[in-house]
Amino acid sequence: MPVNFIQHPSSYRDPSGFIFTKEEVIYRQVNKSFKEDFDLFINSGCYDKLVKKKLLLPHEHINGNLTGDNAWYMTLKPEKLAYISYPYEWCFDMLKDAALLTLSILKEALASGLVLKDATPYNIQWHKGKLIFIDTLSFEKYEETKPWVAYRQFCENFLSPLLLAHYSKMPVQELLLAYSEGIPLPLTSSLLPWRSKFSLHVYLHIHLNAKYSLKDNSAPGKQQSFSKQKMQHLITSLEVLITKLKLPVNKTAWSHYYDEASQRSGYLEEKQHIIQRWLQEIKAPTVADLGANTGEFAYLAATGDRQVIAADFDPACINRLYNEIKLKGEKNIIPLIIDLSKPSPDIGMNNEERESFTGRTQADLVLALAVIHHLAIGKNIPLEKSAAFFSRLCRQLIIEFVPKEDEKVKLMLTNKKDIYTSYTEENFITAFSRYFTIEKKEKIISSRRTLYLLKINEG
Amino acid sequence: MVHYLLYIDPGSGSYLVQIIAAAVLGITFFFRNIKLFIKSLFTRSPKKPNDNPPA
Repeated sequence: MPVNFIQHPSSYRDPSGFIFTKEEVIYRQVNKSFKEDFDLFINSGCYDKLVKKKLLLPHEHINGNLTGDNAWYMTLKPEKLAYISYPYEWCFDMLKDAALLTLSILKEALASGLVLKDATPYNIQWHKGKLIFIDTLSFEKYEETKPWVAYRQFCENFLSPLLLAHYSKMPVQELLLAYSEGIPLPLTSSLLPWRSKFSLHVYLHIHLNAKYSLKDNSAPGKQQSFSKQKMQHLITSLEVLITKLKLPVNKTAWSHYYDEASQRSGYLEEKQHIIQRWLQEIKAPTVADLGANTGEFAYLAATGDRQVIAADFDPACINRLYNEIKLKGEKNIIPLIIDLSKPSPDIGMNNEERESFTGRTQADLVLALAVIHHLAIGKNIPLEKSAAFFSRLCRQLIIEFVPKEDEKVKLMLTNKKDIYTSYTEENFITAFSRYFTIEKKEKIISSRRTLYLLKINEG
Repeated sequence: MVHYLLYIDPGSGSYLVQIIAAAVLGITFFFRNIKLFIKSLFTRSPKKPNDNPPA
C-alpha cells in the first residue's frame, strides 16, 4: 500500500481532510466525512466562481488514494505557492485586505448555499501579487436558521488586531504572534479606548461580543433562529467598519529613508548601478531583500520570474511598499515585517505548526544592504552571529559594509558609548569568510561603504 | 481573573450576540435606507453625456 507521505504539522484541526507532502509535492486529502459538503461546493459552481474571480487557489483532482487512508474520499493537488507567510508578518493594509477578502468569499459562498466554517488569516496567502484564499475545505452547507459559526473567530483574528492598531496608532504584529489563535475579545475590549463604544459596529462586534463570549449560551431548549438577511446585515456591518479603518500615518525613522538617501550625492544611483550589474551576472531565481525599507532594491531584483521577499522591521515602510505593489500590480514581491534581530519563531503545537522565518526562507540570494551596522551597533549582535544567520538563509549574499567613519554610524554612536572596537572591515571579512567566499567587492566611491558579493562555502 | 468556559463550543457564546447585533443592525439599516431614499428625491443624479443629445 502507498504510504510514504508527511501530514503537514498545522493540518490537524479539521476532520474534513488534511494537507500532506509526498515526494516533495503538496496535496490535500478530502475525507469521506466531508463528501457531501465538498460535492456541494464543487457542484454548486461555487469553486469555479471563486477561482474565476481569482479569490481561491485552484487545484486539480488526482486519481487514487495517495495516503492509503481509510477515511480517503478524494485527493487534490493545489497550485503551488511560492512562499508561506503568517499574519504576524503582515502589515496593516494586508491584514485589512485579508479580512475584506474573507467577507467577499463568505458572500459568494452564501449565494451558492454554502458558508465559511472558519475565518482565520492563516487560510489566506500571498500568491502572484495578491491575497488568495487557500483552504478549499472551509466551505460547508449553509443552514439559514443558524448564525455564522466562525463569527467570533473572525472578530478575534481580523477585527481585534485591526481595531487595536487603528485606535492605538501602534503596530500590533507582535500581539498576533502572542495570540496566534486570535486576540481574545475581552482583552481587545479592555484595551480599546472608551470612545470606541460610541461606534455602533465596534460596540456590537467587540464590546458586546466580549461580554457574551464568556456566557454559556448552549442551554438545551434555547432555540434562536437566524436568517440570511440577518447574516447579510452582519457582513455589511463588518465590511463598513473594516473599510473605514486606517493605519495612522506615522512618519517613522525609515519610511522616508530613500528620499533622504538619494540626496547624498549619487550614493543611491551608484549602489543601484553596481547591484543591477551583479544581478545580471549571477543566477538567483529567489531573492530575499532583508532590511528592504520601502523596497527600492527589491524592485530592482524583481525582474522576469524572480521571486523576491522584501522584509523590514518597520511596519510603516512595509505598509507603504504593500500599497505600492498593489497599485503597480507587481507580482514578484512579497512584503513582510521581519525584525532580523528576532525573526518569527517556530510556534504552535509541538513548535511545528507555523515554521520560523529562517526555517521557511531558503533564497538563492540575500540582499543585506545598509543593514550590518544596525545589527552590530544598533543591536550589539557580533559579526560572527550575523554571518551565521545569513549563511542559513542563502547560497549567495550581497552585503554592504558600513564603516565606523560613515556619518550614519557616527550618528548612531552620538549618545552611545563606543564599545564596538571589533567592528572593523577586517573583522567583518574574517567573520563572513567562515561561511562565505568573496566573489566580488566594490567600493561605493561617493561614500565610504563597500559592497560584497559572497558565495556560500560548500560542504 | 477571567475564567473562560472551556467546554462549550467556541462559536456558541457568540450566537446570541449575532442575534442581538443582527436585530440592531436591521433597524439601523432600515432607517439608513429610508434616509438614503429621501435624500435621493432631493438630489439629482449626475447627467450622463448622452442624456441630452445635440440638436
